[in-house]
Amino acid sequence: MSSSPTLSLPGGRNAALLQGAGFTAILAALLVVPLAIGNDFVTHIFITMCLMAALSTAWNLVGGFAGQMSLGHGVYYGIGAYAGVILMNMGISPWIGMFAGGLIAMVVGVVISYPCFRLKGPFYSLASIAFLEVFRVLALHFSSLTGGATGLMIPLNLGWTWMVFRERWPSLVIIFGMLLVTLAVAAAVRRSRLGFYLIATRERESAARAAGVQTVRVRLIAVAISSFLCAMLGTFHAMYLTFIEPAAMFSLTFSIQIAMFALIGGLGTVRGPLLGAVLLVPITEWARAVLGASALGLHGFVYGSVLILVVLFMPNGIIGFLSRYAGKQNAEDAAPATTQTDTIKAPATPLVPPAPDRAGIGADIMRVEHLNKHFGGLHVTRDISFTLREGEILGLIGPNGAGKTTLFNMLSGFLSPDSGSVSLRGPDGKFHTPANPADFAALGMGRTFQIVQPFAAMTVEENIMVGAFYRHHDEKAARESARETAWRMGLGPLLNSEARGLTIGGLKRLEVARVMAMEPRVLLLDEVMAGINQTDVRRAIDLMLSIRDSGVSIIAIEHVMQAVMSLSDRVIVLASGEVIAEGDPRDVVRDPHVIEAYLGKEFADAQA
Amino acid sequence: MLKLENIHAGYGPTTILQNVSLEVKEGEIVTIVGANGAGKTTTLRTIAGLIKPKQGSISFCGEDITRLRGDQVVDRGITLIPEGRQLFGDMTVRENLLIGAFRAAARANHERRLDEVLSIFPRVRERLDQAAASLSGGEQQMVAIARGMMAQPKILMFDEPSLGLAPIVVSQVFDIVRQIAGTGTTVLIVEQNVYTTLKVADRGYVLENGQIVLEGQSEALLNDDHIRQAYLGI
Amino acid sequence: MTTFLQILVNGLMLGGLFAIVSIGLTLIFGIVKVVNFAHGEFLMAGMFITWLITTRLGLHPYAAVIIVVPALFVMGALTQRLLIQPLMSARDDHVQIFATVGLSTALINLALLIFGADIANTPAHGLRAPISLGPVRVLTGQLYIFGAAIALVVALHLMMKHSQIGRAIRAVAQNRSAAELMGINVNRIYILSFGIGAACVGLAAVLIAPLYPTSSNIGTYFVLTAFVVVVLGGLGSIPGAFFGALLIGMLDALSGFYIGSDLREAVVFGVFLVILILKPSGLFGNRRALSHLS
Repeated sequence: MSSSPTLSLPGGRNAALLQGAGFTAILAALLVVPLAIGNDFVTHIFITMCLMAALSTAWNLVGGFAGQMSLGHGVYYGIGAYAGVILMNMGISPWIGMFAGGLIAMVVGVVISYPCFRLKGPFYSLASIAFLEVFRVLALHFSSLTGGATGLMIPLNLGWTWMVFRERWPSLVIIFGMLLVTLAVAAAVRRSRLGFYLIATRERESAARAAGVQTVRVRLIAVAISSFLCAMLGTFHAMYLTFIEPAAMFSLTFSIQIAMFALIGGLGTVRGPLLGAVLLVPITEWARAVLGASALGLHGFVYGSVLILVVLFMPNGIIGFLSRYAGKQNAEDAAPATTQTDTIKAPATPLVPPAPDRAGIGADIMRVEHLNKHFGGLHVTRDISFTLREGEILGLIGPNGAGKTTLFNMLSGFLSPDSGSVSLRGPDGKFHTPANPADFAALGMGRTFQIVQPFAAMTVEENIMVGAFYRHHDEKAARESARETAWRMGLGPLLNSEARGLTIGGLKRLEVARVMAMEPRVLLLDEVMAGINQTDVRRAIDLMLSIRDSGVSIIAIEHVMQAVMSLSDRVIVLASGEVIAEGDPRDVVRDPHVIEAYLGKEFADAQA
Repeated sequence: MLKLENIHAGYGPTTILQNVSLEVKEGEIVTIVGANGAGKTTTLRTIAGLIKPKQGSISFCGEDITRLRGDQVVDRGITLIPEGRQLFGDMTVRENLLIGAFRAAARANHERRLDEVLSIFPRVRERLDQAAASLSGGEQQMVAIARGMMAQPKILMFDEPSLGLAPIVVSQVFDIVRQIAGTGTTVLIVEQNVYTTLKVADRGYVLENGQIVLEGQSEALLNDDHIRQAYLGI
Repeated sequence: MTTFLQILVNGLMLGGLFAIVSIGLTLIFGIVKVVNFAHGEFLMAGMFITWLITTRLGLHPYAAVIIVVPALFVMGALTQRLLIQPLMSARDDHVQIFATVGLSTALINLALLIFGADIANTPAHGLRAPISLGPVRVLTGQLYIFGAAIALVVALHLMMKHSQIGRAIRAVAQNRSAAELMGINVNRIYILSFGIGAACVGLAAVLIAPLYPTSSNIGTYFVLTAFVVVVLGGLGSIPGAFFGALLIGMLDALSGFYIGSDLREAVVFGVFLVILILKPSGLFGNRRALSHLS
């Protein structure tokens, strides 16, 4: 999901302001234009626009932010519609009914999504379609409740209490209000910790888990909010239509449309779904009205074709297109890149704070005992035991395929060993044996990945914020902490750059920065120096020393021997899943076993 | 025969190879050695057409092949035996070998070629109708080499052929490399097993951080401290 | 007893129908790794062409096969070349999902624009006549479909197993980059495979058109079941799709009789969801089909 643009649009403040103003104007027009014209048909089109925009915005919480492509959001909309109408028939106002429907939809959403989140990409979509079909069939079957295929009429009680009106404008006012609420929710989610966690999970699930994100939980919260909103909109629409039936309420076509507007406008953005609906609904509604029956299917054909064209040529939707355009404009303004990032100021403190005197190596903080792991018939980890002491840098080296990364995965809870244990000393002074990445993170374990895992669609600052949110629940505090970390890591000038544009050296530093923002006590670094140039290697060495001096204990997998030699207090050499040597780095590299493991037996003999 | 000039290449925005130039002459065995992550595999994948270089050019037998697709490179007579074997595990050994002869020039007389190749690998002949995935690591490596030979390439490239194999199998693999070179096929080999490889090769290049830092006759390289330094930092 | 036997046979016949619709879908997924949400609309297009040929030219519907199958092959190949191939390298799932969802939406509505909302009945030419097989009766057309489904499975199996192009297709399906190293033009194999998958559904369209009324949404009706069948049988597995289809056909017929015809679909989709969530590799699939799980 690398393609959705970030909310903080690249391209500078002016362009962002301009876009904000344009967006507000569109939003105001949705209410003002139809009220000013006062024509029923026009009002109807605007009501449809507001409804589709709101549904699509709600869908976007799951489809865009969480990256789960639901094609069955009609389920929630339909539940809201039926709950509203059934309760109204019992004499309960839809204003109450919409909350009842919302709650039911929320429960349904969480229950059906929990097992489905295991499914990836199109298979999640398929499951969502299947649920939609099941609900449609059930609505047809339980006709005593739903009226079955004949559908349900609402009692004609007019007035604001019943949300049913003779004129159209009150409905417009209501749906406009609901649209504003939905947009506000989406904007709030996007800015909050939840929003960051959702996008991080969508971009790189394993990196998100390493940052302490409970990936299933955040997605369930997104589904709960989204389904609640959709159900409320469903209640409104039922009142507006005055008649509902299963085929229309649990419709696949309609569910696809909901998703489509978000996709066309800009997946995972706050403003995109509205833009998509505002652009497409009027064209097709107008065509439907003017061309009538001769154009049966025309609007659907337009939707389908636009969708194909957008996917092929504007994969980031209208918003992505606009921001790229704005970015170009800004570049042409020829302002130096840094002047745009006016909010970024180097902190008064020096970039690398003067290291407190090294505390020295303390007591054990991590114990690894008799770890074994098999993959199929392969014994990849053989009875590995070692300890890490507080404030120590432990180098982990060994030839390709020695099992270093497998070992790291077990040390951070991403893999569970076949036998043996990893225990960490918690802040309480006792040793704990965590079982999954979240538990490890809770005990202060942070790790990086050998293959860098940036959240590509986020800026550098936002990437680091994902880590910072682990300590700071408030967005401002997290941003503050992220900036501080960024400057410490030498990423300060790049705060507003998109992560995907960084060099490999920058990405490696970003990886470390994100983990450091979690304020870990134990840090696992997986080849943070691989593939970076000499200058960067020296910077990375200084960085690691300063991290160590702030009291963090480090295990580093590294191939750059220059770094291993100058950094490590101790070195462990792994070959074929076994510890073949351990001790002072200078002794270890002269060990004949080590030379043999690296260069072959004959070489060892020849040089002996 | 094969010539790389000032190649810059990498994945996505990252550049791994910087200004790599090397040459392989007909009938030679040439090796590229270097530490993990130095860019050895990237070099081979760039030659094979799986990665498009950002700068520089590759020519083969006088033809510019820089922009060719992977399958077109194979058609010209360059075959890569990839790291980790990459057999088609669900297919039988025979099917794997037949797929090896997909290249137009090899397809015509693949029956005869199969016999020739199998004469080098008697063990593979016994396993012809087994699923490739059911073979041991060493046997799989033999099948991978045999599959590469089925294409009747002018130059055969090996990526870490001894990775994960028992020492006795490793020496068999190197015997076979020698044997293949003996039949006139040019060989470009990337190996961690520096000593053995340099013993087999005529010439070698040392790759460090994506750059060629040393090149020369194998004998000279063997006695150069630089190699030891590149791998162990001492 | 006869009733039960009749239900079983009905289920079997229905299974044959589901099988012939599903084979192309599973083939495309197995090789190109794309779930073609427009698969049902390929079927619909094939049925409309069959209807046109049969009614305008007065031919036997089966004669349409010489036009429909090549036409659908071209349609599939073009879809791969123009729509899927440019998106193959996209890391984002949504791009490929919505490409075919968009195609599906466009095709359904294009059919509405051209043919209107009326139902198109392809003349049956006796294919809807029942024949007796011992104590049970089936429609002639159903029997042909069942036979054709078996023939198609066997033919595809032979092609995949014993031709060089079939081996190349399997190689690409198993390991794309290794296949490229063998000198196989991977993109061409994808185009070919998508074409073959679409041609299979073209054959299905010709056989189904005389039995079912054609309309713009007939594809949705069949394809949802086809998705169930394909997941049940293990994605990408052709024999799996065949046996999965028979199972679903039986389930459909039995639940229609014993639980009620209006809940039939709920049962089928319920089973689908249970399989998808609990045993996502399908009943007959192998571990490698797990590519859709995180």
